[in-house]
Amino acid sequence: MRCFNCGCNLTEHDFCTNCGIDVNNYKLVVSASNIYYNDGLERARVRDLTGAVISLRQCLKLNKNHVDARNLLGLIYFEMGEAVQALNEWVISKNLKMKKNVADDYLNLLQSNPGKLDALNATVKKYNQALTYCYQGSLDLAVIQLKKVLSMNSKYVQAHLLLSLLYLKGEEWAKAAKEAERVLKIDGNNLQALRYLREVERITGGSDFSSRDYLKNKFSENKGQNKAANKSQSKSTIISEESYQYQSGNETIIQPLNYSDKKKVHSIWNILLGITLGILVAWFLILPAKIQNEQLSVNDELRKVGEQLDVKSATINELESKLKTLEKEAANLHGQLENFIGSGGMMEDIEYLLKAVKQFMEAPDSIEEITSSLEKINPATIESQSLEAFNQVYYLLLGEVGSEMTVTFYNEGMKAYQNGDFETAIEELKKAVAYDPTNQDAYFNLGNAYRKMGRNEEALEVYEKIIELYPGTDLANRSQSYVNELAAE
Amino acid sequence: MINFEEELKKFHPSLEVEEAEDALYRKNLTDIADLVVELVKEVKDEHES
Repeated sequence: MRCFNCGCNLTEHDFCTNCGIDVNNYKLVVSASNIYYNDGLERARVRDLTGAVISLRQCLKLNKNHVDARNLLGLIYFEMGEAVQALNEWVISKNLKMKKNVADDYLNLLQSNPGKLDALNATVKKYNQALTYCYQGSLDLAVIQLKKVLSMNSKYVQAHLLLSLLYLKGEEWAKAAKEAERVLKIDGNNLQALRYLREVERITGGSDFSSRDYLKNKFSENKGQNKAANKSQSKSTIISEESYQYQSGNETIIQPLNYSDKKKVHSIWNILLGITLGILVAWFLILPAKIQNEQLSVNDELRKVGEQLDVKSATINELESKLKTLEKEAANLHGQLENFIGSGGMMEDIEYLLKAVKQFMEAPDSIEEITSSLEKINPATIESQSLEAFNQVYYLLLGEVGSEMTVTFYNEGMKAYQNGDFETAIEELKKAVAYDPTNQDAYFNLGNAYRKMGRNEEALEVYEKIIELYPGTDLANRSQSYVNELAAE
Repeated sequence: MINFEEELKKFHPSLEVEEAEDALYRKNLTDIADLVVELVKEVKDEHES
C-alpha cells in the first residue's frame, strides 16, 4: 500500500513515515475494498456472477485503483455478454497500471481479432433493437431478434432474461423456464432468472419443468447447515460426497461436485454418438452415392467396350465375307489351274500334242505312236478353240497323219464288225470318222454297227448325215433305204 | 405475479462499441479514498491556517 500523498510505501503506523500525513482512514478504506474484492472473487469462482459484480463494484467505489478488481469485473462483464463494459474496465485498468497488467492481454486478444469484436458489437446492436421492439410492442419481432442474438452469443445474460420475460408474457412457460435456467448456468445466482423460474413454478404448479428440481435445490432443505454458512457470505462447505454448498445472501447454493466429470462423460458419449452418426451417414448416404458413381462409370466403360466390340464384329464379318469371296476365287483359280496343268488339262494336252509332233518329226511312219499321243488329247481342248496355235498345230498334224490314222481305225473297226463286236467297232469307226470326215465307208459302217446294236436313233443320225454329205452316191441310196426301213419299224 | 411493463423497465440498452469512449469519459471515478484524502487535506489545511 502506498501513501496517497507522496506515493511512498506505508508502514504499520497510522501516518506516512515520509510525509507524515494521517493514513489511518485511508488504510481502513483500502482494507474494506480488499474485503469486497475477495468476496467478489469467491463469488466469481462459484459462478455467482451477479454477486461478484456487486462486490467488485463496491470494491471499486471504495478504491478505484484496485486493478485486480477492475480486471475481474471486466472478465465477468465479458462472460455475461457485456463486451463494451468489459472493455471499459480493462482500458481503465490499463491506464492505472501500464505494465504487467492482465488487462493488456485481454485487450490485445480482442484487438488482434477485429472480426470477433465486430461480431460482439453486432450482437449488442441486435439486442438493443430487440429491446426497442419490446418498447414498441412488437414482441414477436423482439423474440426473433433475441433468438438471433443468442445464436451469435449464447452467454448473453440480458438477452436470455429478456427472452424469458417475453415467453412469460406469451405464457410459454416451458420456454421461459428454459431461458431462465440457461441464465442460471452462466450466472448461478441471477435474481431475475430465479424470480422468473419461481413465477413459472407458481403458475404451472411445478408440473413438468426441470426448474422445479432446480428451485428445490435452491430453496429447500439444509436449513441446519445455513447457520454455519451464514457466518460468512463467502464461506463454502462440502455437505456431502456429491454436492458442494455455499451461502449467497439468504440463499444456499448447492452445486454437484462431479459436475465436470459428468460433463466429460457426456462429452465422450456425444463424441461417440457423433462418430456413429458420421459412420451411418457415410454408410447410408455417401457410400451409395459412391457406388452409384462407380456403377455409372463401369456402365460407361461397358458401353464403350460394347461399341468397340460391335465395330470389331462388323470388321470381322466383313473380313470373313472377303475371305469367303477370296476362297471362292482361289477355288476357281485352283480349278482353272487344275484344268490347265492337272490330269486332262491343257498343259497335258499340249504336252501330248508336242509329243505327237516330235514323234512325227522323228519318225513319220510311226503312226501308232503318233495316234496314241493324239488320242490322249482331250477333245474338249480342241473344241474350246481357246488355244489358236494349239488347234492349228493339231489340225496340221492331223492333215499329215490323219488319212493313215483313219485307215488304221477303220481297219480295226471293220475287223471287230466282222467278228460281231459292234461295241468295239463303233468306237474304232467313230475315231476313223473323227480323223477323216471324208471317209464314207467308215461313216456307213458306223451307221450299220449302230443299227446292228439296235441303237436306231444314232443309226438314223449317221445315215442322214451320209445322205446330206454325199447325196446321189451308192452309200447315200443304201442309207436312204435303211432310213426308210428303220422309219417303218 | 410479474408485471411485464415494470419488468421491462429494468432492461436497459447495452453499450455499443461506438459509445464506449463517451461512456469512459462520463464515468465518475471518484472513490471513497478520494473523499478521505480530500477530507484529510482539508483538515490539514485548517490546522496549518
